[in-house]
Amino acid sequence: MFEVVDHEKLTHKVHRLRISAPHVARKAQPGQFVILILDEKGERVPFTISDWDRQAGTVDFVFLEVGRTTERMARLQKGDTLAHFVGPLGKPAEIDKFGHVVCVVSGYGLAGMVPIIKRLKEKGNRITTIMQAADNESLYNQEALKQFSDHLLIGVGGAGGGPATALKPLEDMLKNLDHEPMDRITAMASICLMRFIAEATRNMGIKTTVHMAPVMVDGTGMCGACRLAHADGTQFACVHGPEFDAHKIKAWDTLMARRCTYADDSIMQPGFKCDNCSQW
Amino acid sequence: MTNEKTAETQVKEKGKIKIDLHRMEMPKQAPCERKHNFDEVATGYTLEMALQESRRCIQCKKRNCVEGCPVNIQIPDFISRMQKNDLAGAARVLKKYTSLPGICGRVCPQESQCESKCTLNKKGVPVAIGRLERFLADWERSQGGAAIPDLTPSTGKKVAVVGSGPSGLTVAADLALLGHQVDMFEALHVAGGVLMYGIPEFRLPKAIVQGEVEYVKKLGVNLKLDYVIGINASMDELLESYDAIFLGTGAGLPWFLDIPGENFNNVYSANEFLTRCNLMKAYRYPEYATPIKMGRRVAVVGGGNVAMDSARCAVRLGAEKVMVIYRRSRAEMPARLEEVENAEEEGVEFHFLVAPSAMIGDGRKNVCGMECIRMELGEPDASGRRRPVPVKGSEYVVETDTVVVSLGTSPNPLIASTTPDLQVSKKGTIVVDENGKSSKARVWAGGDIISGGATVISAMGEARIAATAIHKYLVNIDQ
Repeated sequence: MFEVVDHEKLTHKVHRLRISAPHVARKAQPGQFVILILDEKGERVPFTISDWDRQAGTVDFVFLEVGRTTERMARLQKGDTLAHFVGPLGKPAEIDKFGHVVCVVSGYGLAGMVPIIKRLKEKGNRITTIMQAADNESLYNQEALKQFSDHLLIGVGGAGGGPATALKPLEDMLKNLDHEPMDRITAMASICLMRFIAEATRNMGIKTTVHMAPVMVDGTGMCGACRLAHADGTQFACVHGPEFDAHKIKAWDTLMARRCTYADDSIMQPGFKCDNCSQW
Repeated sequence: MTNEKTAETQVKEKGKIKIDLHRMEMPKQAPCERKHNFDEVATGYTLEMALQESRRCIQCKKRNCVEGCPVNIQIPDFISRMQKNDLAGAARVLKKYTSLPGICGRVCPQESQCESKCTLNKKGVPVAIGRLERFLADWERSQGGAAIPDLTPSTGKKVAVVGSGPSGLTVAADLALLGHQVDMFEALHVAGGVLMYGIPEFRLPKAIVQGEVEYVKKLGVNLKLDYVIGINASMDELLESYDAIFLGTGAGLPWFLDIPGENFNNVYSANEFLTRCNLMKAYRYPEYATPIKMGRRVAVVGGGNVAMDSARCAVRLGAEKVMVIYRRSRAEMPARLEEVENAEEEGVEFHFLVAPSAMIGDGRKNVCGMECIRMELGEPDASGRRRPVPVKGSEYVVETDTVVVSLGTSPNPLIASTTPDLQVSKKGTIVVDENGKSSKARVWAGGDIISGGATVISAMGEARIAATAIHKYLVNIDQ
């Protein structure tokens, strides 16, 4: 059993949980994820690790209330327990001295990207972070992002937003490359936003990586639910990723459809509106 | 218990043995019933049936059946006790050679192992050894569980077993019985490996598996779930705390067809389809939270036991039509004959000499058909089976809305990739010697991680050999 050490509500639908799991905290790296099961009849659900404390033995992650399991998680209180908690799974994010790195985040990425940005900063990179949210109420974690970024841009869109809101600052920057070169773009955002970014930079010679969050079952390479078509052959997000070179991913439309396979069952709540991409 | 049947069973008179040619059938749920439930198909012998079948054994001097068993169960010994009505004694003999009789009795291919070597098989009616084994295991369970044998005093030696499938459970039990401290690590949330996620409830009830896992735990084995070796602890970290390691991590990485459209929605690997259904109990959704999306016309690609399991799960999940698509002919199918017959009885259609060439989408990235090509058999290939060759111009479309790809699996590369000094083959299997010893000091391996994919019992046989070698190593450390 894994104890809930802390539960903080960040926006009306976004929560942060802190779980006591020393063996996970001991090995956690930026960009990795955990899988949890609420009780013996629960499903296995993956979440990107947003922070950890090796000494205290705790692991943090942020989740959006969008389905049956996450709605139940929203009611968890300090002292409650999770039946199962396994991780850190997946490969750590690629961290190196790249130069000027642009980080694009939306949804859970506002939290999940923080450890990556922090480590990139420590490596001496210059960081521009672009935050995307549907409205001001949905923004969270600004302070943490600001702390490790040299420059923080915020894209807030109206109903549904549309990728254009976050893409606008990025597109402006791409037009201005002569004055302000860009060495790398990395995104942890809705799948449609990541797709737009991939297309925007495809022919510009800027290395672009995306952090995928597909449907998973076991999360250890066994089931292939999280597979994607890749220039190097079929890849599994759980063991080959979750970070991928955005320009090596093929068939984004199929990926987007796969992301929503179980949307009606466990991802989306009734009334959820699809704005071209149901993950928006 | 009456003994009217004695006259026609084994009687030794004037050195001549009369043989009972009536092999006892095992009762099964009727196909029309079992199509609609996940309960066990074969319901097992009654006491009377088991005793009667046991009396067919003629207690040969030369024990060919034992040679046919990968873990060398002394079959005539447990059967002779059954013949004397001594069920507890029979169960004790059985448990000396296997800690998992309820599992072996159900999923071993006895027809190609012990029963194929049975003297009575010359007449085509071998003693139903597997059914007797299963009966004894179930009987013992009904008596409140297996008796715990006397444990050897602790040797003070520690062994880490990685993976809790058939090979891991066998090594753990064997070494615990010999007095070693065993910790077993499992990446999933429940022990049993393929016995839990792969083999369906109607062939191997999960309560039976958990009962046998509990038995292994009662022998003193510590089970650590949700713990991934290669991540939570590296092999070298484990070796700091343990005297020896056994790797039984199986072959979990599914193969795909590598054809266009393979990632459309409702195209599953057999591993995903079966894991959702068996391990996560999607057939009881929404009581269990994991859903499984399946249409009405299901095509299963492949001809092995896993393909049969997938097809039969699809039947029970309510598919209207279930097809098995196999690129060779019936004769080359690797699935057990019994499972093929069961599937046919349940209405599964078999399409032989057919291979998929592309998935067809419905415009919204859901599969709605599969383009196939007919095959003919050419010269034998490396496996000795005739190689299927496409027939030009024979393409046609199979209408389907759910595809389960069941082509086989390869070893999960996690441990190999995080353990540079562990020698692996091109196929990703761990290279071992005849005792299951790997290239890395103090590390042994067995099961699908060395074979690339075989049976539960062969994994247990390899585990038995490795356990013997590990024990030999451990007792010699101090000398």
